[in-house]
Amino acid sequence: MTIPFSLYAGRESGLHPVHPLTRLTIAGFVLIAALLIPWTLGTYALFAGLLLPLAAWRRVAGLLLRAVFRFVFPFALSLFLIQGLFWTGGTPVVSLGPLSLKAEGLAFAAAMSGRILLIVSSFLLLAMTTRPDALMLALVQKGLPDQIAYIVLTTMQIVPRFQAKANTILDAQRSRGLETEGSLLRRIRGLLPLAIPLVLGSIVDIEERAIALEARAFSRQGEKTSLVDLPDSTFQRAFRWMLLGLTVALTVARLVSVLR
Amino acid sequence: MISVHNLSYKYPGYSRLVLNDISLEVQRGEFVGIVGPNGAGKSSLCYALAGFIPHFYCGSLKGTVEVAGKIIADTTLGELAGSVGMVVQNPFNQITGARFTVLEEVAFGLENLGIPRDQIVPRVEETLALVGLQGFEERSPFALSGGQQQRLAIASVIAMRPDVLILDEPTSQLDPVGTRDVFAALHSLTQTGMTTVVLVEHKLEWIASFATRVIAMVDAKILADGNPLEVLVDPHIQEVGVGATRYTQAARLAQRRGLIPQDRALPVTLKDTQRFFEEPSHD
Amino acid sequence: MIDGLSIAVEDIRFTYPGGVEAIQGVTLSVSPGEAVAIVGENGAGKTTLVRQFNGLLKPTSGRVLVGEWDTREHSVATLARRVGYAFQNPDEQLFERTVRAEVAFGPKNLGFSSEDILASVHEALERVGLADAADQHPYDLPLSQRRLLALAATLAMQTPIVILDEPTTGQDAPSVARIGGIVDSLRQEGRTVITITHDLDFCAEHFPRVMVMASGRVLVDGPAREVLAQSDTLAEAEVDPPQLVRLARSLKLTNMPLTPEEFVTAWQRSRGE
Ligand SMILES: Nc1ncnc2c1ncn2[C@@H]1O[C@H](COP(=O)(O)OP(=O)(O)OP(=O)(O)O)[C@@H](O)[C@H]1O
Ligand SMILES: Nc1ncnc2c1ncn2[C@@H]1O[C@H](COP(=O)(O)OP(=O)(O)O)[C@@H](O)[C@H]1O
Ligand SMILES: [Mg+2]
Ligand SMILES: [Mg+2]
Repeated sequence: MTIPFSLYAGRESGLHPVHPLTRLTIAGFVLIAALLIPWTLGTYALFAGLLLPLAAWRRVAGLLLRAVFRFVFPFALSLFLIQGLFWTGGTPVVSLGPLSLKAEGLAFAAAMSGRILLIVSSFLLLAMTTRPDALMLALVQKGLPDQIAYIVLTTMQIVPRFQAKANTILDAQRSRGLETEGSLLRRIRGLLPLAIPLVLGSIVDIEERAIALEARAFSRQGEKTSLVDLPDSTFQRAFRWMLLGLTVALTVARLVSVLR
Repeated sequence: MISVHNLSYKYPGYSRLVLNDISLEVQRGEFVGIVGPNGAGKSSLCYALAGFIPHFYCGSLKGTVEVAGKIIADTTLGELAGSVGMVVQNPFNQITGARFTVLEEVAFGLENLGIPRDQIVPRVEETLALVGLQGFEERSPFALSGGQQQRLAIASVIAMRPDVLILDEPTSQLDPVGTRDVFAALHSLTQTGMTTVVLVEHKLEWIASFATRVIAMVDAKILADGNPLEVLVDPHIQEVGVGATRYTQAARLAQRRGLIPQDRALPVTLKDTQRFFEEPSHD
Repeated sequence: MIDGLSIAVEDIRFTYPGGVEAIQGVTLSVSPGEAVAIVGENGAGKTTLVRQFNGLLKPTSGRVLVGEWDTREHSVATLARRVGYAFQNPDEQLFERTVRAEVAFGPKNLGFSSEDILASVHEALERVGLADAADQHPYDLPLSQRRLLALAATLAMQTPIVILDEPTTGQDAPSVARIGGIVDSLRQEGRTVITITHDLDFCAEHFPRVMVMASGRVLVDGPAREVLAQSDTLAEAEVDPPQLVRLARSLKLTNMPLTPEEFVTAWQRSRGE
């Protein structure tokens, strides 16, 4: 099974032992920590000591590292070069003719990179290990309105449905002799007549989909059930409260130190 | 189970009546086939029975519709959902997009009805088997052939076990055996006496074999209502665009050629027709 | 008469991106001017197969030749000069603002002169019976007419090969008869017609050649009268023989009638003996 617009890697065998809200809380905690931890080394430690082991446990460590390499590494590299080279003042560490890398610039780049690494990888880890519908279900069980969950879930599908729709219209046009392959100009020309049917077609689609939803009792009032079971435990609930407390503590500590 | 009194309807912005003074009573456990040419108003009647008219399509509505003890005009679609199920005509737009797999798509309606979790999967599996979709549980609903999507749409509604099932050309994309299986499955649902089926179809052979009653619609009106074996051989009904099975065509031709007595009733199904041709003619 | 083109399919396989192998080794050829019906269970691979003929899908292995063109070496738009394809879902095919523009879209792209465009749009709309609806918006037509419109849009391209994916779906008896008439007239013009259908009675009456598909393969391919009599093979593909074949069999006739006339004649003869 593939879920459009989701990074869910589908490596779970059987039930995931960790409740989606616990995973969401961990991701939230790491995100806040990334923004607040004042020590550069701390961010890297959190990545290596918490996120990587979690990823390895859920068997997505390779996937996570690859994604980090693709998205975070190029960014970090340019950060090191730009900040290192163009830091005004500062102590040169390495010099190459007129150019020199400054220690302060490098330290700044390291701190920034650490934060970005944490933010990106906590999100990636959550996305890779959590089915969006499971997360939505967990939130609905905690009181999020059904309609909002549906909107989030279908929105995730709208873009790929839109793409699929655009492709079918392209197919229809090519089948009737419109050249859409080849040069960029041709492709753009092919896209123009596509805009109207895409929107119009989608309106009709939406109407019929609304009927389909109604036919499945979507707007029924009253208790609903769900196919998937999301096992929770007192331990997990306690853990979530603890992380929440830690996050608050971290924020307060940071505020105090900034104010002083 | 269904009671329609002097129902007339126009779609918003149109001046033409698409349902013109329709009255109709259907008892619990009946299997009613609706036939008629394109544009006769069959789908519109289905919408009116399922509440999509007037709750989804506004327009001007006269008369009353009562289904499963509920006055349609006074009941929300949400309240109707458990008692009236409808499979709409176009199979390509019946996937809700709320779920990611075939199994979850069928389960979606059951979740909304609040069916306990441990009953959902068995029910879904049973219904998927009924429409020949076992083995497709984990497939994305969008990665199915046309006929498979239509089977999924039928399963999603049948699984909810409504008291009244309304199906608008549900077998249009199905292979012949699949079509026969769906008719047989609907027939056995009505045999329990719990479910009432109203089904629009062009496939007269299966209407004649399984429906207990047929309604022929033409031009927004009910032209005939009665036993399928009588209504479907009526030349007048056939000529307004309902058509005739090849069996009836062959039998009529044989009569026209003087090979079979004129007073022998025309057949509609295979069995009838076999009898029609086997019966000795005393001429 | 249109100069014919043959189609040659050489041991093709096709796998969808999700990993479903929808065509599992198909070899066949269609001569110019033939009318072929493809029947078979849902999910057999019929649509997947015909989409290879106009290049919308390219075989994962093997090759498809339309005339001397290998479909992998030509764009779909180029192939559209040779192959017209009416989709199974008409809503995937319609995108213009008026019925007339929809039908004119193909001829325009193929470089018809403006008189030829007018003429072929007119002719195609007349053929499907939508001439009165020319100025309407395609989405304002009911589904059954949208399907006829998609058919008209394909016919207007005047291609030597015409592919129809379930054209009679959801049509009433008069429209099915009309579509049958269109198939017959295409044959008379010498154009190749390949039609997917689940309506075996329609198939028996208009197609001299029938191909039965199941699980990504062609189970049997030959003259309608022979193929439609093979009830075991048909059953394997979830297909019932046409009504008249079933009737003939239940009456123990030896002939395989394809039309009511043939049936009555065969029955009369069997009685005479
Ligand atoms: N977009 C897709 N992605 C993945 N698999 C697909 C897709 N479309 C079809 N399939 C699968 O490929 C197989 C062949 O499908 P195809 O649409 O060719 O069937 P068909 O013979 O035309 O059936 P039908 O009579 O229902 O239209 C089926 O198993 C189907 O589930
Ligand atoms: N949503 C709609 N808006 C306006 N007119 C419609 C709509 N749906 C159907 N109609 C019109 O109502 C009439 C009856 O259509 P329909 O109920 O779909 O007939 P059938 O199902 O018998 O083919 C047709 O003239 C059709 O064009
Ligand atoms: Mg209809
Ligand atoms: Mg198909």
